Amino acid sequence: MTSANARRFNIGGAIITIITVIAAVLWAFPIYWGIVSSFKLEDEVVRPYIELWPETPTLRHYWFALTQTQIGSWYLNSVATALGVTVLTVSTSLLVGYAISQLRFPGRRPLWWLILASFMVPTQVLIINHFVLIANMGLLNTWAGIILPQLIHPVVIIVYKQFFDQVPREFREAAVMDNASEFRILTKVYIPMNWGVTTALSIVTFIWAWNAFLWPFLAVTRTEMMTITVGITQVSDAFGVYYARQLASAVLAGFPVALAYLLFQRRVTQAITLSAGIKG
Amino acid sequence: MAEIALQNVSKSFGAVEVIKDISLKVEQGEFVVFLGPSGSGKSTLLRMIAGLESIDRGKLLIGGRECQDLAPGQRDVAMVFQNYALYPHMTVRENMAFGLRNVGMNEKDIAERVADAGRILEMDALLDRRPSQLSGGQRQRVAIGRAIVKEPAAFLFDEPLSNLDAALRVRTRVELAQLHQRIAATMIYVTHDQTEAMTLADRIVILNDCRIEQIGTPMEVYTYPASRFVAGFVGSPGMNFLKAEVTTSGKEAVATLGDGSRVEMTVTIPDSGAYELGIRPEAVHVTAEEGDTTGEATVVEHLGDRTLVYARLGDGTEVIALDGGRSQVAPGDTVALRFDTSQLHLFDSAGHAYHAD
Ligand SMILES: Nc1ncnc2c1ncn2[C@@H]1O[C@H](COP(=O)(O)OP(=O)(O)OP(=O)(O)O)[C@@H](O)[C@H]1O
Ligand SMILES: [Mg+2]
Repeated sequence: MTSANARRFNIGGAIITIITVIAAVLWAFPIYWGIVSSFKLEDEVVRPYIELWPETPTLRHYWFALTQTQIGSWYLNSVATALGVTVLTVSTSLLVGYAISQLRFPGRRPLWWLILASFMVPTQVLIINHFVLIANMGLLNTWAGIILPQLIHPVVIIVYKQFFDQVPREFREAAVMDNASEFRILTKVYIPMNWGVTTALSIVTFIWAWNAFLWPFLAVTRTEMMTITVGITQVSDAFGVYYARQLASAVLAGFPVALAYLLFQRRVTQAITLSAGIKG
Repeated sequence: MAEIALQNVSKSFGAVEVIKDISLKVEQGEFVVFLGPSGSGKSTLLRMIAGLESIDRGKLLIGGRECQDLAPGQRDVAMVFQNYALYPHMTVRENMAFGLRNVGMNEKDIAERVADAGRILEMDALLDRRPSQLSGGQRQRVAIGRAIVKEPAAFLFDEPLSNLDAALRVRTRVELAQLHQRIAATMIYVTHDQTEAMTLADRIVILNDCRIEQIGTPMEVYTYPASRFVAGFVGSPGMNFLKAEVTTSGKEAVATLGDGSRVEMTVTIPDSGAYELGIRPEAVHVTAEEGDTTGEATVVEHLGDRTLVYARLGDGTEVIALDGGRSQVAPGDTVALRFDTSQLHLFDSAGHAYHAD
């Protein structure tokens, strides 16, 4: 490579780096702004110019959120419902995906088309039906009521089917020759060979469920049954909007998800690469 | 250990009948090789025995028990796959134990069998590794080990050596032969490599186009090929085929080759007429005296212990002749060729073979 070439290459690299950095700053700034503002006094927040650092940092909004609201219950409700949604969605989708990918039974194709088609229907259009249904079942203001309508995630089935499709046929045949029952083929061969997908799908589903707002907002009216995303809307009161206080509770609400992602980030990436390796 | 019998089995994929009415008996402890070109139905036939493909018609008897409708796991046979199909998330030990755990064998017996298999295959040191930490040859051995621990009535191999490099293939082939002698189990082995077939088999089943062309010991198949196909498929370099006009009188026959030369032989054929004359290179000698015919040497291959002479006869037909290691023949020379008439074969237009005495 000549030096001119090398220089051009470096310039190209530099431009890309600069663009990336700008994009990252643009993307991260609102988050930074939100976090910083949650440490400001209310009147500082509404000042008309940009202050990148609080003048008098304070924890009073956090203190308020933690002591004056039912954030403890909200956390509990969120954890319980998000875990419930994750475990149920992933385990049922796993079974359905496996059946469609590996078993031959009448109605397999229509079922598959149905699932593909339901992928096209946004759950929001069904929300009135869900509400009436859940209300009739007497499940408003319960964990079950929050969880049930959120179990509709055809994409998880679709991903599982694709991954199971790509396990070479010989593994199944070897297991069949080895006298393995269908259940053992699933649990001892197909699931372990696709741990990566299960991990990734679980994390993604958990984050979806944790961030869900519209349905939990409709399904719950009693403050102590609210999930955290719904609960934090309750910190504004009759006297108007408290930006800093709301931001502080928003930070508290997002914190576990951010933490989970930071902890699992490597695991998620690694998991996806691993599963890709099996496919190859 | 058990014998395996196929009785008039057939198999269709959709509307296409691929296996038509095949019968075959594999004796207890016998090593039988299914040999044939790609698409000849070797794998399909093996997988029908394994239970991975259904048998549409006919019977499969394993150890005298009717098995055609049993699930693969209940047929008491073990299969070794071409790409091994070792479970990547299990150690070698777990891979071998999997099949035994599935039938609920107790852990002590499992440990014993795995240890035995490890000893037989000399891979005790590898038991706690995962497949990804093994070489191709070692994976191959684990795949065989996984079959051995089941102590099956029969072993089925589908091209087990084709993923190995040439040197390792030869070594593993020898090990397989030794393994067969040691455990004396019934084995059916699929390959398209005739060297593997010749070296390993007690009997070879030659398949072509999903039909059995011939069943016989390696030497029978080599010396007395039942058809033109078998004659051409077995042996390397391949048999020479020459167009010939044959006149017969009782047990004697005279073949007139394309270049006008005449070859006399002792063979019983139904009619005079057009035949193909087949002769292996080692039965065609380069001679200093007068031969049966002459040709021009086009290519000379020195293989050390022997020399292959590619000769073109007067009518343009190519014939490969075998000469000694110190052959003086050079390309361009005119060579006299003598046929060993006791090793001649005649093939009629339907491919049926008649062997000279
Ligand atoms: N699942 C299938 N569906 C339809 N046709 C099939 C199927 N499997 C095999 N065949 C056909 O059956 C015939 C025999 O195939 P088979 O795999 O037994 O050949 P083979 O002798 O094992 O060849 P190779 O040496 O390439 O493995 C082929 O013509 C093939 O196209
Ligand atoms: Mg095959």
